[in-house]
Amino acid sequence: MEIIELASGERKSVIITETLKSDLKNLTEERFFFNWRTLEDSPIVYKLQLKEKEGILGVMGLIHFPDEARVEIKLITSSRENIGKKKKYEGIVGCLIGYACQLSLMKYGEMACVSLVPKTEIRRHYMEKYGMEDAGWQLFLDGWRLLNIVKKYVLCM
Amino acid sequence: MYVKKGFSKKKLEALAEDVVLTEKLSPAQEAEARKQLAAARKKTQAGMTEQERLIANLLQLKFRLEAYIDNKEYDNQLTFGYFLKEYLQLIHKKRNEFAAEIDIHETLLSQLINNHRAPSESVIIRLELHSNNAIPATYWYRLVEKQKEHFIGTNKELRKAEKKFVKNPLRVSI
Repeated sequence: MEIIELASGERKSVIITETLKSDLKNLTEERFFFNWRTLEDSPIVYKLQLKEKEGILGVMGLIHFPDEARVEIKLITSSRENIGKKKKYEGIVGCLIGYACQLSLMKYGEMACVSLVPKTEIRRHYMEKYGMEDAGWQLFLDGWRLLNIVKKYVLCM
Repeated sequence: MYVKKGFSKKKLEALAEDVVLTEKLSPAQEAEARKQLAAARKKTQAGMTEQERLIANLLQLKFRLEAYIDNKEYDNQLTFGYFLKEYLQLIHKKRNEFAAEIDIHETLLSQLINNHRAPSESVIIRLELHSNNAIPATYWYRLVEKQKEHFIGTNKELRKAEKKFVKNPLRVSI
């Protein structure tokens, strides 16, 4: 998986892993838009880092619904310096959504699904940018739409 | 819980690129949302082609294999034979059919699936070619190596049997 350093245009490899308890103290509202410590055990929280150096650039909270072969995105936030027009890296949210799709695919194969309940005002953005389908309250990715996201953000095709 | 209140539409749109904010639903809304989603998925699942299903299942195998070989933990269930059997199942091939497609004897294929024999380099390469590079040969190779590493690292009987062939061992320990 890769993100783009906007100043140089270089592609940088990233890794996404589950957060450790010791990470949580750094996931403050000031740095990550939300106090991730308040979430405790549910949802499971994942962090995105550059392969070459330490430091968390993005965080994602997921809830698994094995009975429905589905993973639900509860929240994704980029670090403060990666929000807005002056951000350092491009593609953090895309990689995290891609990773959610990869996890779902790994568990559920052809039945894999990723969903989220976005704020009404911005649901169109996720439909246009990530090809999410409208299911009333939820937006979702499955089938070829989910495969497209995996190909783009995970396999970098 | 996941929503910051009081953001204007403009502010939310500006944030959408870098932050995914979601709504917290009431239990009744959540139940409704699940019903809606199940109905919508029924349609998209019905519209999936055989090729899309195959790609999804191949990626599932590839990611599981990748996760296992990258993980330090050893699991004696997750052998070469186990993953090979999974591959055959997802491509819907009978053993005799698949053995013919990669030009090996059906008995050898059964031995590989039952972990009675380790695969040769040519079998590993043929598996990569058969999957059209979806599962690289290096994945199969690393899987075999992981099994071998565990066997070499933990086999007490082998050490006991080989001890009589070693004379004058070093007396220092590090």
